[in-house]
Amino acid sequence: MAANPKAVHNSIKPGRWVRSTCKMCLHSCTNLIHVTEDGIINTVEGDPTNPSNRGKLCPKGNSAIMRHYDPNRFKQPLKRTNPEKGPNVDPKWQPISWDEAFDIVAGKLKEALADDPRRIIPSLEDFQKMNIWVWPLAFGNFNFFQSGGTMCGGAYHPVNGYIHSAFAAANDAKYCNFWVNDGTGDGFSSHLHAAAQSYWVANARVDRGMKCVTVEPRLSISGAKSEEWVPIRPATDRHFALSLCHVMVSERWCDFAFLRRDTNAPYLVGPDGYFVRNAAGKVYVWDETVGQAKLWDDPTLGKLALEGSYTVEGKACKPAFQRFRDILAECSPEAMEKITTVPAATVRRLAKQLYDAAEIARDSKIEIDGRILPLRPAAYNYYRGAQGHKLGFQTNHAFKMVNFLLGNIDAPGGHMGVTLDDQWVEHGHIEPGENGMIKPTPHQLGPVPPFSWPPQTFHLMDYFPVGVHPPHLNLEVFMNPEKYGLEFRPDTMVVCHSNPLWAMQGPREKWFEFMRSMKFIVVSDIIPTETTQWADVILPSHDVFESWNMTMIEPPHTEGMCMRQPAVPPLYDTKSEEEIFTELADRLGVLDSYNQVLNFALGFVNKPELMLQPGIRYTDKEIARRKGLLWNGQDLDWYMEHGHAVTERRNDKWYRPWEGLRLHFYIEDMLKQRDDLRAKMDAAGVPYRDTWAWDDYQPLPTTRLDPVHEEPPEYDLYGIFFKDIQLNFGESLSNPWIQDIVYRDPVHIAFMLNPQTAAKKGLKATDILKVESPYGRIYGRLGLSEGWHPDTLGVSNSLSRAKGKLGGVKHAGGHFNDLLPYDLRNTDGVTGQPETVCKLRITRLDDWPQFLKDGGSVYDLVDEIALPGKGRKH
Amino acid sequence: MATRDLPIVGDSFAVGYRFQRYWDTPMANAFFFGELGAGLFLVSLLCGFAGGMVAGLLITGVLKSWFHLSHMGVPGKSWRAILRPDRSWVSRGLMGIVGLMGFGGLHALVTWTGALAPDSAVALLLQLAAAASALVVMTYQGFAMSHSTAISLWNTGLMPVSSLLYAATGGVLLTLAAGWNGFLAMAPDLRSALLTGALIGLLAIAMVLLSLLHAAHHGSPGGRKSVELLTRSYFAAWFWGVVCAVGLVVPALLLAFGGEGFGTVALAAAAMLAGYYAYRLLIFKAGVFEPIMNFRP
Amino acid sequence: MARYGMVFDLKRCIGCNACVVGCKQENSLPDGVFFTRTLSQEYGVYPTVNRVYIPTLCNHCEDAPCQKVCPSGATYTRPDGIVMVDPEKCIGCGSCAVACPYDQRTELKAESFKAGLFGTGEVTPFEKQGYVRFTPGMVTKCDFCSGRVDAGLDPACVVTCPTDARIFGDLDDPNSKASRLIRERGGRQPLPEKNTRPKVYYID
Ligand SMILES: Nc1nc2c(c(=O)[nH]1)N[C@H]1C(S)=C(S)[C@@H](COP(=O)(O)OP(=O)(O)OC[C@H]3O[C@@H](n4cnc5c(=O)[nH]c(N)nc54)[C@H](O)[C@@H]3O)O[C@H]1N2
Ligand SMILES: Nc1nc2c(c(=O)[nH]1)N[C@H]1C(S)=C(S)[C@@H](COP(=O)(O)OP(=O)(O)OC[C@H]3O[C@@H](n4cnc5c(=O)[nH]c(N)nc54)[C@H](O)[C@@H]3O)O[C@H]1N2
Ligand code: SF4
Ligand code: SF4
Ligand code: SF4
Ligand code: SF4
Ligand code: SF4
Ligand SMILES: [Mo]
Repeated sequence: MAANPKAVHNSIKPGRWVRSTCKMCLHSCTNLIHVTEDGIINTVEGDPTNPSNRGKLCPKGNSAIMRHYDPNRFKQPLKRTNPEKGPNVDPKWQPISWDEAFDIVAGKLKEALADDPRRIIPSLEDFQKMNIWVWPLAFGNFNFFQSGGTMCGGAYHPVNGYIHSAFAAANDAKYCNFWVNDGTGDGFSSHLHAAAQSYWVANARVDRGMKCVTVEPRLSISGAKSEEWVPIRPATDRHFALSLCHVMVSERWCDFAFLRRDTNAPYLVGPDGYFVRNAAGKVYVWDETVGQAKLWDDPTLGKLALEGSYTVEGKACKPAFQRFRDILAECSPEAMEKITTVPAATVRRLAKQLYDAAEIARDSKIEIDGRILPLRPAAYNYYRGAQGHKLGFQTNHAFKMVNFLLGNIDAPGGHMGVTLDDQWVEHGHIEPGENGMIKPTPHQLGPVPPFSWPPQTFHLMDYFPVGVHPPHLNLEVFMNPEKYGLEFRPDTMVVCHSNPLWAMQGPREKWFEFMRSMKFIVVSDIIPTETTQWADVILPSHDVFESWNMTMIEPPHTEGMCMRQPAVPPLYDTKSEEEIFTELADRLGVLDSYNQVLNFALGFVNKPELMLQPGIRYTDKEIARRKGLLWNGQDLDWYMEHGHAVTERRNDKWYRPWEGLRLHFYIEDMLKQRDDLRAKMDAAGVPYRDTWAWDDYQPLPTTRLDPVHEEPPEYDLYGIFFKDIQLNFGESLSNPWIQDIVYRDPVHIAFMLNPQTAAKKGLKATDILKVESPYGRIYGRLGLSEGWHPDTLGVSNSLSRAKGKLGGVKHAGGHFNDLLPYDLRNTDGVTGQPETVCKLRITRLDDWPQFLKDGGSVYDLVDEIALPGKGRKH
Repeated sequence: MATRDLPIVGDSFAVGYRFQRYWDTPMANAFFFGELGAGLFLVSLLCGFAGGMVAGLLITGVLKSWFHLSHMGVPGKSWRAILRPDRSWVSRGLMGIVGLMGFGGLHALVTWTGALAPDSAVALLLQLAAAASALVVMTYQGFAMSHSTAISLWNTGLMPVSSLLYAATGGVLLTLAAGWNGFLAMAPDLRSALLTGALIGLLAIAMVLLSLLHAAHHGSPGGRKSVELLTRSYFAAWFWGVVCAVGLVVPALLLAFGGEGFGTVALAAAAMLAGYYAYRLLIFKAGVFEPIMNFRP
Repeated sequence: MARYGMVFDLKRCIGCNACVVGCKQENSLPDGVFFTRTLSQEYGVYPTVNRVYIPTLCNHCEDAPCQKVCPSGATYTRPDGIVMVDPEKCIGCGSCAVACPYDQRTELKAESFKAGLFGTGEVTPFEKQGYVRFTPGMVTKCDFCSGRVDAGLDPACVVTCPTDARIFGDLDDPNSKASRLIRERGGRQPLPEKNTRPKVYYID
């Protein structure tokens, strides 16, 4: 770019441009960093050469400079000198040297490790650095305190692992013409690479006329940009999806050819729910052409039956598809409307629109790279809000079912599996499984601990064989350790790049007790947060402009590696996370096993010359170099020139990468997992085995209600939260540029309610409210908008920060997560997915409660933001 | 929903009416003292009341300038404000102030020192120039406001008229109060003429205010919003209570029925000035920008 | 000579305000100061309700009232139509601010330069290198990133916009993307009744 010595605009002042990668959220848009001749970072722009974000950055990505120069950053290791701990208690930090810091931390960890490695409880959350995430495996610790992946994807990731053998999923913006967005900001405000995906989706909408329908309790950004907003009562999305399926199946609006050919829908299911197999374990199907049962791989197969009842090997059986039909019998749109509030006529119309848009009747085809593929340009997309419910596994499965019926799984224009990180170019993510099906990979985030009684993990991960770690259960177990047979208590916490005290559901006060029970807490972060407030030692890390990395996380339409390199030397006496954790591993005597864990986790085992060797402490730069080499054989100098190795996703990996195998329409493995776990629990005599949530294990989704709908009737509203594009969780709020826009956006400054509901309750905008769930309470001012389902009260993440030294963050009177349950009743027995919606009742107050005014709460009272006509003061 | 039903959105990122927040209290003070000083000067000049002339000059010269400078973002460069009289009423007004201070001051000086005969041609010329400058100062702010197409409440020819009337009436009442037991005691005709003038002024102001509200209400949605703010919502109590009741009705009643006496006139003057000041402030506060677009069906 | 203008595609805009932050970054704007804002408007009644996002910035009016009232000559128009404010000349009188029908003028209060973006009184190196271009107390606004335009680049807010909702171009060139969009999709100017002849168009 042209440099102009007299320039007033930052980007054209004399200086140099450094290619790097954003990390203002967990995704990885690449960027260009401008460093002035005086060594000051004065601009960050998107990298136009990246086919993912194409020069674009979201507001968070644009505000990275403010994070870098934040005067509140940790500037050197710190030691707590105030033994008293609390959310409002000044830790009285004392600066110490790195040597002293490592001495203290390694000493405490060694002590715990020598006694019982289970005493250590890690919370290591950086999605861009899975190498830090897996650090506890180096000493065999499976405790888990970080919240990532559960509140959002506890059930989502395992189900994607079953259906696509992938981590995430998204609709194919390249060809999709009809996009249903259920409970996600994908393509508009959040989820996958917000900056990149909103570009792809905007082009599809405006250039190709793609139609969008948003199913959500609120008129979100996605809703506002859609042709249609379908308001839905929270936590009823499964019922909505099943009602769509009901109509599609009864109207025969399905891609039957796909179901027969590419899925296990024709596999015969016996009365016990298992497939009917011959002695050799081969599954039967029913050949309609000749009217007899055959094995799935019989070369003489004619047309496979999807419906009907048969008897094979002496067992009454039905094709899996028929089983689903039987469930759908009770899912008429009229019946489901009573639950979802979505009018039956709307459901019928949407089913038809989906069917028509998917071009099934025409059986449209498209040629891509010489392959003739089915074109199915209509798809059902969903995420956090839609799936984050107690019966999460079934809920995800129900959404997939709509896509199955549309025949669009991994088809051009359809619903696609999105991998977390392919690791190297040729790496396919599909492997063949048994009986012609793909091999399911529910554990997308690495190995899970084996069954054990008494439990070896504090959050009971021993009993979630399909799940993602349910960290909220730490609190449940903490409150009732005897009940769960715990023989240890974690008391040494290691946190890096994670803010569980913000992110976790359940009342803060109880989490504070949990934190108080810790003997030692070490936190590595770059700025103060709710969690750093509790630390005994702070190990400050470099920020994104000061360190190396190589990653690309969940890119829907692209693949590759994005390089992070230091644009400037560290501002302060900080270290990279790699340096911190290899140093600790070394001092704990587990460096070799850590390197070996990394060889597996980062895929180096696949290229032996890249494998980390024992006894060596690898730097962030060296790890980055090897990851780059693993991807495409290019060394760092190549990456420094190109910035990234991102290309559009290879079509053979993107479209039907499982060609020739069958997909799991019917997830028989649920029953195996259930029976296996039950057998183990029985054998071990686990005392609570009879009350375990066995009914949650279902090979097909059912209409069972989530328990949130069964709370006492005085809780007459539903409460939801949401992420918009300006915020990374609540975290970016300490950034002045983000504050400047967020506190001026009406949706982010008040508890949102529909005016009709407010009128019924005699409430008006700006009224002070007490909002209570059966689990907790919060306070705030009321905001009104027609864009809300009348049953729903919404709380933006911007209103949910607890007190503490969070540089300039405006606090509201509570945190939404205080309202959420953290118990087993509200946890999916299959995956550990917690419920993220709650029931509420609200009361108008004449004034703020005294304890908030006194400042005697963990929340600060900030009253200026939601008053009429004010916005944020300036 | 019509544009006029859009809300006031303050500084939030929503479509609606936004308060003008650039000209506020210091500017209201400057306007008030600038006009009042010039009005007092002019009335005193016409009455030959030297004390009032000097007081008027001081009010404009010191108070107005001080508040104006305190409003200015870059006071050190405020001399530049004079550069564009061809298009800017602010420049013209500034020239008016310079003229008023120069001619008026000179006039006061020469008459006071007796350097020139009061009826000499030069003195008359000075008087004329000072009077003309005073007129400019009394009205230019109204012109500056009326030229803002942005704020419908202000965008009317009635703005300079209201400035002129307020300034003149304020000048008359101040002259009356200041001269009541002084030079006016000796000039009963002038005194009753001034009394009548004040009453007429108050009446005229009332009519101009009514027309102003009427014009704004029918001018544009933003104008209507401003009128609503002044008469029915945020500022209604101040507008009806202070601008109208205290500022117009009370002095008019006092002057008409309060009997003649210093106390009455002083009270009337004080009330009128309070109303005048409130008017200056509220007319700024109630100024709103129109919503940039309206998408409501 | 080009005549620069901007088109906002309201179908594309998702109200993310990346443009706003990008502009703050490019221009080193103090806290609470905006050269551009994206506003939202909700209309209709549940359940047939919608929301539109409307980006706004200085319209670089051809008949710019802000320029007309400026007593110091600080506001001027470049030959390419960009309306500029000269920080050397502006006295901060605010006349332009009350004359702009679009509320696009902004005061750069002297205090905010001292308080710093974090409000701690600590001014970051980023701010230090950027604030030198302004005179504290002046009133200013978007300049279409004139320096970038001179260097042949699009404005910062345009470049970063994740949905390409902002299209910058030469309105005199009938083949520019901006002109084409205005023609094909019927561009509307904001508040045409104010007779300012904005060079900003909205398409929806
Ligand atoms: N900008 C931004 N992007 C992000 C993140 C971020 O913090 N900020 N975080 C990243 C992470 S870790 C995740 S998990 C993803 C999540 O990305 P999303 O899935 O988009 O997450 P949310 O906004 O939490 O939830 C989506 C929507 O669900 C709605 N909702 C809540 N309850 C219900 C319900 O019961 N039913 C339905 N239908 N809708 C409901 C909310 O209104 C919300 O708009 O985003 C990733 N990307
Ligand atoms: N109310 C509510 N609760 C939620 C959610 C919600 O939307 N609303 N979302 C849920 C979801 S989906 C998730 S995934 C979780 C997320 O929960 P967390 O992953 O805990 O999310 P963050 O708050 O972003 O915490 C990340 C931390 O990393 C720090 N950090 C940033 N950059 C660096 C760096 O370079 N180095 C180091 N060492 N640290 C850094 C940040 O300062 C921050 O403290 O929250 C869950 N909880
Ligand atoms: S989506 Fe995430 S990675 Fe991309 S620009 Fe925004 S914050 Fe950065
Ligand atoms: S960056 Fe683009 S999409 Fe986002 S608010 Fe600005 S104009 Fe709209
Ligand atoms: S939009 Fe306002 S500031 Fe910009 S040129 Fe027009 S009148 Fe001047
Ligand atoms: S504030 Fe500056 S630019 Fe605006 S009118 Fe006054 S001198 Fe001109
Ligand atoms: S054109 Fe430049 S100065 Fe104007 S709003 Fe966009 S980024 Fe800001
Ligand atoms: Mo998440």
